[in-house]
Amino acid sequence: MSNLISLNQIKRHYDVGGELVKALDGIDVSIKPNEYISIMGPSGSGKSTLMNIIGCLDTPTDGTYQFEGELVHEMDDDQLASIRNRKIGFVFQTFNLLPRSTALRNVEVPLIYSNTPKAERLEIARSSLISVGLGDRLDHKPNELSGGQRQRVAIARALVNTPSIILADEPTGNLDSKSGIEIMKILYDLYTKGNTIILVTHEKEIAKHANRIITIFDGKIKEDRANENMIKAL
Amino acid sequence: MFSLFFESVRIAVDSILSNKIRSFLTGLSIIIGILTVTLMGTLISGLDRGFEKSMDFLGKDVLSISRWEWFGGQDWWEVRNRPRIRLEYVDKIKNRSKYAEAVAPVMQRGASLSRGDLGARSQIFGTTTEYLKTTNYGVETGRFFTNGEDRSGARVALLGYDVAENLFPNEDPIGKNFKIDGIRFRVLGVMEKQGKFLGLFSFDTQVIIPSGATQRLFSRRGFLRISVKIPDDKIEESKDEIYGIMRQIRGLKPTEKDDFAVNQTVAFENIYNSIKFAIGGVGIFITILSLVVGGIGIMNIMFVSVKERTKEIGVRKAIGATKNMILTQFLMEATMICVIGGLIGLSFAYILSLVINQFFPSTMPIWLAITSISLSIFVGITAGLIPSYKAAGLDPIDALRYE
Ligand SMILES: Nc1ncnc2c1ncn2[C@@H]1O[C@H](COP(=O)(O)OP(=O)(O)OP(=O)(O)O)[C@@H](O)[C@H]1O
Ligand SMILES: [Mg+2]
Repeated sequence: MSNLISLNQIKRHYDVGGELVKALDGIDVSIKPNEYISIMGPSGSGKSTLMNIIGCLDTPTDGTYQFEGELVHEMDDDQLASIRNRKIGFVFQTFNLLPRSTALRNVEVPLIYSNTPKAERLEIARSSLISVGLGDRLDHKPNELSGGQRQRVAIARALVNTPSIILADEPTGNLDSKSGIEIMKILYDLYTKGNTIILVTHEKEIAKHANRIITIFDGKIKEDRANENMIKAL
Repeated sequence: MFSLFFESVRIAVDSILSNKIRSFLTGLSIIIGILTVTLMGTLISGLDRGFEKSMDFLGKDVLSISRWEWFGGQDWWEVRNRPRIRLEYVDKIKNRSKYAEAVAPVMQRGASLSRGDLGARSQIFGTTTEYLKTTNYGVETGRFFTNGEDRSGARVALLGYDVAENLFPNEDPIGKNFKIDGIRFRVLGVMEKQGKFLGLFSFDTQVIIPSGATQRLFSRRGFLRISVKIPDDKIEESKDEIYGIMRQIRGLKPTEKDDFAVNQTVAFENIYNSIKFAIGGVGIFITILSLVVGGIGIMNIMFVSVKERTKEIGVRKAIGATKNMILTQFLMEATMICVIGGLIGLSFAYILSLVINQFFPSTMPIWLAITSISLSIFVGITAGLIPSYKAAGLDPIDALRYE
């Protein structure tokens, strides 16, 4: 099967007051459709930086990045925005919902940016929220929802443009264990339906939900292995 | 594209509503600016119309010979010692002038009018039949007096529109009698309605009677001016000629100064224009000042808004907003504040124009409303541009990380 993503010698260097910080220093990764990958590593190892590059939020200082055969490292801002909008679904540790908008509005926004007609937009947004079990919370604002519910709204938002890949950076990091388990169930469910998922975590137990575990250290890949005893969150 | 436009309108409205007081204070200068510019425009267009109308009545091609200049800063003592204008000049001017098309004396004085219990103060004009040729003021109903009536000293009168209403409410005054300073006169006709100009003067409260009767009954008081109708394509020549004739009549030596005045409605126009430019100048100054202040205020508040919503901008970018979409969103917000401010200013101006309309006719021209709203949009876009560019150019990761 052809690669969904291939990173080749990706580097991300920062110049902090004359000192060179090598957040990523030569990453080679290929990802095929319908993989469920955990990225592990200590704090500061470069997990989020890698995630941001894969998610087209950041551009590498060196190396090549192909997404579905397209050369991402050569794209301009608008092309990157379009990839983010149509191909990538983000789930953040801090939810990152629009605080003044209802759950439904939040989920609608990516569809607005992709120019989906209004009726269709509402329909997709509503069914996406129903699919994460929030059919009865459509008109609630983020501050009227629990942490777990907020994260589910974020997942619903990530799904509306049927992305090629879902990127979740510590999605359970701000949640109690019960809500965390719910989120892991939803992700597993998405995986079984054929989605490709990358999950950043520093908890071993969480990482075991994936079928492939990549460990980074100091901006380099230390280990990249298949996870035979994948936990099936049912 | 449309859904994006509506989305930005919606975001802007949300943002404005969630900061009502801040938005209002920011928009206040715009409100004042638009209020000033529309009110001023309304005022001037009202003045213009009133003025045009009054000038039409006075007649632009009419010279008015009198002791005083209408608008002049001459020495009061010198003017006071000038000889009076005399009735016999009328015939002399008529005989000697080759330009004059009509020459009419106007003897003006205050008088009380009465009819039964009804009474009014008024100005009476004693004149000849040629008077009608020296103005565009015409007879509405009835007729003007004849030369015969003038010469015989007939006690007949033409009433100004308001006088007729006051003395003869709900009845036809023609043929009926009333009294001027206790002396009985018969109504020949009613003059057409002129309306007020700035509430300053109006022919509608005046009464016109023949010069014959004036001389016999009221000659001791009041003052005389002579109206001379001249061809409108020979104004300068005619004026020179009239000056010459008057100097001749007065027997002035070449070295002596004029001891009379030849006035023209143009003088009104000059004064009027300087008033108009003064109003316009002050208005435009206030407008520009408040729009600039308002624009700076909006720019400032937009910088705050961008800062406050840095995280939101990051999120929007992460889920696929392009630079242009972010730019549009913030430009829309700035423009919206201005347009709402403009509309509020416009409504106030409209209400005030209705009040002003009580004093003299003035309606807000449509083009002015459109211009003022365009002006608001312009201020909004100009003031919002730099903050919006800043928002659009934010790095998504930095923005997302912003707390
Ligand atoms: N904008 C930046 N400027 C300079 N250095 C940066 C910047 N962003 C990240 N870094 C550095 O890059 C390294 C990797 O950061 P990154 O956020 O990817 O770590 P992480 O693995 O996600 O850590 P954590 O588990 O704490 O989230 C860190 O040393 C960090 O200091
Ligand atoms: Mg991180």
